[in-house]
Amino acid sequence: MLVQVPGGWNPLLGRLAIDQIPYTNPILAPLFVAVVIGGIILLGLITYYQKWGYLWKEWLTTVDHKKLGVMYIILGLVMLFRGFIDGLMIRTQQVWANGPQSSGVFGAVHGYLTPFHFGQVYSAHGLIMILLAATPLLVGFMNIIVPLQVGARDMAYPYLNALGLWITAAAVALIMISLFVGDFAHNGWFGYAPIFELQYSPGVGVDYWIWTLELTALGTTLGGINLIATIVKMRAPGMTWFRLPIFTWASLSANIIALTSFPALQVALFLVACDRYFGSHFFTAGFGGNLMLYTNLFWLWGHPEVYFVILPAFGMMSEIFPAFSEKPLFGYITMVAASFAIAGVSWLVWLHHFFTMGAGPEVNSFFSVATMLVGIPTGVKVFNWAFTMYRGRITYTAAMLWAIGALFLLLVGGLTGMMLAIPAINYMVHNSVFVIAHFHSMLLVIVYAIFGSVLFWFPKVFGFKLDEFWAKTMFWLFSAGTVLVFVPMYMLGFMGQTRRLDYVFNTAWHPYLVTEEIGIAVYCLSVAAFFVLLYVSIRDRVKNRVGQDAWGTSRSLEWLTHSPVPFYNFAVTPHVNARDELAWRRHNGINEAQPTQYVDIHMPNNTGVAIYIGALTFVLGFALTWRVWWLCLLSLVAIIVLMIVRSWRGDPGYIITAAELEKMEREAMQRQQQVEGHLPHHGGHAVPSGAMAYEGQKVSPLGTPPSSGDHH
Amino acid sequence: MSHGHDNPILHPEVQMSSTRGYFTGFLISLVLMAAATAMVSSHAFPPFGLLMVITICAAIAIIAQIYFLLHIDVSEHNIWNTVSLVLFIPLFILTIGLTWWMFSQLYLRTMPMMPGMH
Ligand code: HEM
Ligand SMILES: [Cu+2]
Repeated sequence: MLVQVPGGWNPLLGRLAIDQIPYTNPILAPLFVAVVIGGIILLGLITYYQKWGYLWKEWLTTVDHKKLGVMYIILGLVMLFRGFIDGLMIRTQQVWANGPQSSGVFGAVHGYLTPFHFGQVYSAHGLIMILLAATPLLVGFMNIIVPLQVGARDMAYPYLNALGLWITAAAVALIMISLFVGDFAHNGWFGYAPIFELQYSPGVGVDYWIWTLELTALGTTLGGINLIATIVKMRAPGMTWFRLPIFTWASLSANIIALTSFPALQVALFLVACDRYFGSHFFTAGFGGNLMLYTNLFWLWGHPEVYFVILPAFGMMSEIFPAFSEKPLFGYITMVAASFAIAGVSWLVWLHHFFTMGAGPEVNSFFSVATMLVGIPTGVKVFNWAFTMYRGRITYTAAMLWAIGALFLLLVGGLTGMMLAIPAINYMVHNSVFVIAHFHSMLLVIVYAIFGSVLFWFPKVFGFKLDEFWAKTMFWLFSAGTVLVFVPMYMLGFMGQTRRLDYVFNTAWHPYLVTEEIGIAVYCLSVAAFFVLLYVSIRDRVKNRVGQDAWGTSRSLEWLTHSPVPFYNFAVTPHVNARDELAWRRHNGINEAQPTQYVDIHMPNNTGVAIYIGALTFVLGFALTWRVWWLCLLSLVAIIVLMIVRSWRGDPGYIITAAELEKMEREAMQRQQQVEGHLPHHGGHAVPSGAMAYEGQKVSPLGTPPSSGDHH
Repeated sequence: MSHGHDNPILHPEVQMSSTRGYFTGFLISLVLMAAATAMVSSHAFPPFGLLMVITICAAIAIIAQIYFLLHIDVSEHNIWNTVSLVLFIPLFILTIGLTWWMFSQLYLRTMPMMPGMH
């Protein structure tokens, strides 16, 4: 039943053989040595400082949504860096391999990458940036912020949350190891039939691609289920649907898209796997297969996916603009409606990625109109943000600069998207670098929103602000890089440069390619500025400490608890009285009201099961890629056994007693006092009647200290 | 904390699961899948007829799985299941329907007619 693979195969190691390690490759071999040395140094340092126990207890086995979120973000940033290096390599190859006179090294006729290697670099770049950089970064933020914004103590399923992270990490490990063991796919990030069929891609690259995608799809789906359940079920009392912060609404709409669309990707890839492993003919050219059916299935997921990543970014912008304009968000209801309109329409437009298939004028017109409809809710959002800033008291913090930058990019990306949505134009520029420039504008909206959010929410998570000067330096360098790379790219698209060229024949394009390369150099500077930013901020962390409301103008519930957020989030579940609860409390003078009494709380225990299962899914992916059947079976059985054992045991959780809670809260308040210079007072003044600050506790008059009481 | 930490086994949606239900669902799917495979590999009907028959098999399998494995019905305690079902049906119709439409239009222009179709 299994297909015969070309090259060697043996039952013990599958297709693995020593010649699969590219030790003769002049780029990979030194990199491999560097990675090994770096890895040894890192592990050595952890051992030397005896941090293994700390790492294991506090991070690797945690189920705390904030720590998992931080790890998601670190993972995303690392992959953003890797993807950036890929981008740098692509740009350098094109500027070098330009025209018949251009030189070639390392076995390439032109430039320094052979077509085979160039194909792998751009395929990895796209896959990494969308699914292993942007997605983990956004999921990380949703993980941290959503439970805080809805006033929950954790996600609905803390253990599932850890599982999602570690499965995503397994996907990352799989694509990273493809650098050093075997090679990666060269079929682009989305794949084409029939080039990914075994006949045309006999190596393991496509298999790496399949299983990496399957694992991220799985991890993201699990995360999506968790976020939806959290938003639906875990809202604090008083947090009615129309008091939900917009970021939470955006997360809800995005995760509904994820939950409904990722299965399409998983099925499409399983069918590709069937073709490659069992010799079926779903996407072959003969035997009843249908090439375009793959493209159809892929974009059935692919287009909703791009909205899955942009909607949380819109949500982030919707939080940053009001905070730094000192005004409530303009058009809250329309913002919610627009998010869901975008989510809904995103299901109706996927054919715009293959207008050129030639389904005829009726079909193309339908999808063209549907695509352009997306512009309406998106336009609503843009105007809402503009009106939020209009006549606001704007402070141009670095976070605000990133958000404004995102707004401009959205305009550029949206308008070029509209052009692409017209079939007559699309036939001219499809698969040109104009499309590349379009979606990079869009994906940069996400990157800008993410960096804005890093600055905006960093003090909430870590208790101190990042350095404004270096953050702004980074912003301006990054923006200069963006303009220098993508404006010439739009132009080249119009001039007819197609995408994915390992050799650019037209020497008239040289000045544009050089400009793009300069842009990449400027991007490198902004990456350096980012590292300086981290260094300077951590060095000055004591000076930059903040209290609960880090910016003084924040609006939603996450700013109500201490910074850094204690592991139990809220000592007592807050009672929500208004949309923009913190702004409402500040307005009524009770933003520092503390609970009058504490009660015991129930928390989930740490567990190592999630990281074990993550590691096993990596082994499974690796074994499938190399066709080591016994290892596939072993890891699969181990995963199932672990799941059953864990479900059987369950998690009784543990209790933080009211007394312990009180002690921790006092310490947190003392820290806050050191930062802000006064003790938070209990209760407030001018409180509207019927208001409730904490669950079951009326806002009390000034001066009653919180006490644990004797009711548990 | 008092909410939601009572015995999860007692939740109504968990109570709905039964070993018999799971096995019935599993068996029905298995039989349908085997039947479809057998019909296709033995060329039991002309191609277009086969397509219709295995589509019907798939539809029955889906319904059986929704009912026996996912326990989706329209009762009160399953309200969120109903919501997701309502959300899912239009998506299902849209994606399958539009795919059908675009490929039929494509085939009109590019393909010979499938044997057994008229
Ligand atoms: C106003 C909204 C938008 C419109 C009208 C639009 C339109 C289009 C069209 C027509 C294409 C196909 C171009 C071609 O291949 O010929 C395209 C490609 C693409 N768009 Fe958009 N788009 C919009 C928003 C977005 C957003 C929000 C994102 C992501 C964050 C995005 C990401 C992409 C990507 C990744 C591709 C190409 C993928 C590839 O071929 O590798 N677009 N867009
Ligand atoms: Cu699209």
